[in-house]
Amino acid sequence: MLRADNLVFAHPGQRTPYRFTLEARPGEVTAVSGASGSGKSTLLDLLAGFLQPASGSLDLDGLALLPLPPERRPVSLLLQADNLFEHLSASENVALGLPRDIDKASARERIAAALAEVGLSGFETQLAANLSGGQKQRVALARTLLRDRPVLLLDEPFSALDDETRRTTRDLVGELTRRHGWHTVLVSHHADDIAALASRHYRIVEGKLERV
Amino acid sequence: MPPALIVSLPLVGRDQGWGWPRQVAGILTMLTLPRRPIRVASAAILTLAIAALIAAVLWAILAAATDASGGSRIDIAHLLRMTALQAGLTMVLSLLVGTALAWALNRLRFFGRDLVVGLFAAAIVTPGMVVAFGLLSIWGRNGWINQIADTLFGITFDSPAYGLSGILLAHVVLDGAFAARILLARLDAIPQSRLKMGQSLGLSAWKRFALIDWPALRGSLPGLGAIIFLLAFTSFPIVLLLGGGPANQTLEVAIYTAVRLDFDLVGAVRLALTQIAVCSLVIVVASAFSPIPSALGRSVQPRWRDAAPVRALQWFTLALGAIGFALPLVSVLYDGLGAGLVRVLGQASFWWSTLTSISIGASSALLTLVLALVLALGRSAVEHRVARTVLNIPAYAYLAVPAVVLSLGFFLLVRASGVSVSLAAPIVVVIANSLLSLPFAIATLGPPLDAIMRTRGKLIRSLGLSGWHQFSRIEYPLLGRDIGLMLALAFCFSLGDLGVIALFGTQDFQTLPLLMYRALGSYKTNDAAAIAALLLIFTIAAFVGLPRLVERIAHAPRR
Amino acid sequence: MVKSSSLAFAVLFAGLSGTALAQDKPTLTIYTYDGFASEWGPGVPLKEGFEATCNCTVNWVAADSSIGTLRKVQLEGESTEADIILGLDTAIAGEARETGLFAEHGLELSHLDLPGEWTDAQFVPFDYSHFAFMWDTDTMEAPPASFEELIALDDDIKIAIQDPRSATPGLGLLLWVKAAYGDRAPEIWAGLKPHILTITREWSESYSLFLDGEADMVLSYTTSPAYHIFDADDHTIKAAMFEEGHFPQIEVAGILKSSDQQDLARDFLAYLTSVEGQSVIPTTNWMFPVVDLGADLDPAFESLPQPDKTLTLDEAEITANSAAWIDEMLAAVQ
Repeated sequence: MLRADNLVFAHPGQRTPYRFTLEARPGEVTAVSGASGSGKSTLLDLLAGFLQPASGSLDLDGLALLPLPPERRPVSLLLQADNLFEHLSASENVALGLPRDIDKASARERIAAALAEVGLSGFETQLAANLSGGQKQRVALARTLLRDRPVLLLDEPFSALDDETRRTTRDLVGELTRRHGWHTVLVSHHADDIAALASRHYRIVEGKLERV
Repeated sequence: MPPALIVSLPLVGRDQGWGWPRQVAGILTMLTLPRRPIRVASAAILTLAIAALIAAVLWAILAAATDASGGSRIDIAHLLRMTALQAGLTMVLSLLVGTALAWALNRLRFFGRDLVVGLFAAAIVTPGMVVAFGLLSIWGRNGWINQIADTLFGITFDSPAYGLSGILLAHVVLDGAFAARILLARLDAIPQSRLKMGQSLGLSAWKRFALIDWPALRGSLPGLGAIIFLLAFTSFPIVLLLGGGPANQTLEVAIYTAVRLDFDLVGAVRLALTQIAVCSLVIVVASAFSPIPSALGRSVQPRWRDAAPVRALQWFTLALGAIGFALPLVSVLYDGLGAGLVRVLGQASFWWSTLTSISIGASSALLTLVLALVLALGRSAVEHRVARTVLNIPAYAYLAVPAVVLSLGFFLLVRASGVSVSLAAPIVVVIANSLLSLPFAIATLGPPLDAIMRTRGKLIRSLGLSGWHQFSRIEYPLLGRDIGLMLALAFCFSLGDLGVIALFGTQDFQTLPLLMYRALGSYKTNDAAAIAALLLIFTIAAFVGLPRLVERIAHAPRR
Repeated sequence: MVKSSSLAFAVLFAGLSGTALAQDKPTLTIYTYDGFASEWGPGVPLKEGFEATCNCTVNWVAADSSIGTLRKVQLEGESTEADIILGLDTAIAGEARETGLFAEHGLELSHLDLPGEWTDAQFVPFDYSHFAFMWDTDTMEAPPASFEELIALDDDIKIAIQDPRSATPGLGLLLWVKAAYGDRAPEIWAGLKPHILTITREWSESYSLFLDGEADMVLSYTTSPAYHIFDADDHTIKAAMFEEGHFPQIEVAGILKSSDQQDLARDFLAYLTSVEGQSVIPTTNWMFPVVDLGADLDPAFESLPQPDKTLTLDEAEITANSAAWIDEMLAAVQ
C-alpha cells in the first residue's frame, strides 16, 4: 500500500499550502482529479521525489520514500507527452529501463517480451519520432514493465490520444496494473477515464484531497 | 494529423516550456535535474585550472618586470569610453542584423542556402585582415560600389569604410554574420508542434516572430551579445586599419604599446587587469540576464510561408546581407584565385604550412571539444544561478586577456619550465587557440545541453540513467550537428589565428596566416591574396562539411 | 583525426630536432623580423652563402617585428640562445644600446657606401633606404614636392601611414617630420590630418591599401618602386621627392655580449657586409646595399631618384624624446 500522510508543500508566494493525504492499493488504479492549477502535478512531483514536502510522510508497504531521491524511488512515470527520446528507436527507448549490467542477449529478449506485452511486436527498430501518439505511450509502458517499479504515476497520459486509441491504451494500463500488482496513481480530468479505470477516486479541493 | 488535434496541442504546456513561467518553476524545484557530481566537479576543476593559467601568465610578466618604468602615458578613461562606445554599438548592430538575417534565412528555402549559411559563419573565423580587405574592395574608396557608381552615373561616394563607421561596418560583417548563424540554429530548432499550432492559429508574421521566434532567440542573445561585445572590445588590427588612427583605439592597442614599445610590463599588466575587469563585468551581467533555453536539435520545419509582402522583405534582407557580408568574401576569392594561385600551389612552403595549420587546427578543435564539453556538461547539471555564472566566467575570461599579454606570459612560462621554446611552440599554440575558441564552443554547445536537461531532466532522473548513458545515448546523438559546428569553429579559429606565436616564431614553424603575412610583408601581394582565398575556402568547407559529417557519425551506430 | 594530427606533429618535431641533431657543427642563432627570414627574404640566400664557408649552421629565429627581437632578448636575458640580433634600425638603436646587451663588433667598415659616415662600434649596417611617399602615375598627375605641398593638396587626396608605436616606418615618418621641421612638427601633423586615410599597424597593410587604390599615397621607401619594376616592369609607382630632404632607415645587426660564438658572429657580420653578402639584399629585401655593387646592382634600382639631402637626428636625442614626440604626434592627428 502506498500511503501519503499529510504531505505539506507550498510554492513560493503560495499562501495556503497543499496538504495531501492519499492511499493507493496494489493492483488498483487510484484516480486524482481537480481543476487546472489545483495541484495535481505538484502531487505527482511530491510522490516522484521532484519536490520535497515541508512535512508529512510517504511510505510504500512500510518503506519510507521521502529520503529517497527520484531515481531511487520505486516509481515509474508516464507523462502526457515527451516520454520518449525521439532520436532513439522503440527498443532503445525501452532499453533505458533495463538494469545497466544486463547482457545483450537477455536484454533483447526482455525488450521483445515487453513490447509484445504492450502489443507492439515488430516495432523494435522504429524511431520513436515515427510512432503515433498511442504507440509512444505504449512504448513508454513497455519501459515501465522492464523497470518493474511497484508504483506507476500517470499524468494525463491519454489526453493527446484519439478516442479509439485512448480506450485501448486505457485498458492496457488497467490490465498491466492488475497483472503486475502496481499501485497506479492516475491524474486526469476525464470522468470517462476515471470511471473506466479507477477503483478509488480523489478530488483536489482547496489544496486537499477529498475522497469521492 | 487531423486539425482538431493540432489545435488541442497546449500553448502553455509541459512540452517544451513556453517562456518564463515554466523556467521559473524549473529553478525552484531543486530535484528535477539528475545528480551529476562528477560533471560538476570536473567543470569546477577546469574552471579553476583556466583561472590559474591566466593568473600564472600575469604573474610571469610581473616577475619579469625588473624595473617598473615611469608612469604609463595612457589615458585609460578616454580609451575605456571610446572602446565601450564602439563595442556597444557593434554589439547592438550585430544582434539586430544577425536577428534579421536569421529570420530571413529561417523562412526562405532556395538552392545554395547551406552555402550562404556557411559563408556567413565563416566570416568570424577568417583573419580580420582578410575580411577588412574584402570589405574595402566592395565598400572602399576604390571599391566595386564606387566603381559601378562612377561608371554608371559618374559620381563617387565618401567611403563608409573608414573611421568609426568603418570599424562598425567591419565588426558587423564579422560578428553579425556569426550572430545570424547561431540564431538561425535556434530558430531551426523550434519544435514542429509549436509551428504547426501557430500556423493553424493563422498568426501574422509579426505575431509569429513575437510568439514563436523571439522566445527561442531570447535565450541566446545575452551570451551572444557578450561575446560580440568582447570581440569588439579587444579588436585590434581592424580598429587600426579602418579606424583611421589613434582617435579610435582600444585598450588592446594601448597594451600592445606598453609591451612592445615602452617595455612597461607592469603598466601592461595593469591595463590587462583593467580590461579583464571590464570584460568580466560584461560576462556577469550577460549571465544574469540569460534565461535557460528550452528548445534543442533541428526540427523538420513545416512549410509555413509568411505573406507575400513579408517574404519580399525577407528576400530584401537576404540580398542586403549578401551584399554586405558575402560579397566582401567573394571578392577575396575573386582576387585570390588569379595570378598568384598557381605559383602558391607550386611552393613547398605552402603545403608545409598547410600541413602545420591543419594539424594545429585539428588538435585544437579536439581539445576545445573536450574542454567545452566538460564545462557545458557541468554547467547544465547545475541549477544555481551564481554557480552557473562562476562556471561561465573562465570560458570567456580568455577573450578578455590581450593576445600580446598571453603571448608574453606563455613565452615566459615556457622558458621558466625549461622546455625548448621551439618544441613548446606547437603545444602552446594548440592550448591558446583552444582557449580562444572556448567561448564560442560554449555558446554553441551550452544552450542545447541546457535544453536537454530542462526538458528531459525529470525523465532522465526518474529513469536513473548514469552520466555516461545520458551522454552516449541522449546528449551526443542530439548534439551531433552542434558538435560539428563547434569543431568547425575551433578548427577555423586556429587556422586563422596568429596572435600568440609572435615570440615563439621560428623559421620551421609556419602556419598559413603567418605565410600570408610574410608574403604581404615582402611585396608579394598576389601570393598573399591567393593564400587568403585558400584560407577562406578551407574555412567554408569546414563550416559546411563538418556539422554534417559529425551529425552522421553521431547517428551512425543506430542506423 | 587524432592519429593524423599526431603524425603531423611527429613530422614537425622530427624537422625541428633534425636541426638540433647537427651537434658536431656550431650553430649561429640569429633573431630577426619575420619578413627577413621568410622564404622570399634575404635569410635563405645569406644562410646558404655563409654556411658554404663557415662549417656551421645558421638558425634564423623570426619574431613578428624588429622591436620584437629586442624585447625577446631582453626577456630571455643572459640565457638567450641568440648570438646576433639583426634588423633593428637607427631609430631604435639608441634604446637597444642602452640595454647594455650588445658587444663591440670590432670590424673595419671603411669600405661601406652609405649616406653619411659609419662610426658605430656596436652595430653594423646591412641595408638602407630613405622614407618616402609613393604615388601612382595612373591616378596622380604630379606628386607634391614637400610636406607643405602635400598639406595644400585637396582633402580628397588620402595617404596611408603607419603607427609609430608598432611599425618602424611609422616611427621613421615621425623622425622625418621632426628632423625637417623641429618645433613646427605638430603644425605639420595637424595639416596632414585631413589627408590621413588611416594609420595602420604594419607597413604591409598600408601598402596594400595603396596598391588597391584605396589610398592615393603611402609612406614607404624610395626603393619600393624597384620591386614593381623588377617584378613586372611596372614603372607607374614612384617615390615623391621632397625638398626638405628625406630621413633614412638604416637597418643594423649587433652581436650579443652573452653569445658564446663571438668569433663566428663577427665572421657572419663581415660576410653580411661583404660584396657577396650584400649582393642578395637589393632584390630580396628591396633596400639599397651598404657597399657599392657596381654593375651587379639590379638595373631596377639604377633609375630610382635619390633625395638631394639626407636628414639626420642625434641618436641620444631620439632615445630621450621619441616617447614625447609620439604623444605630440598622436595628439595632433587625433
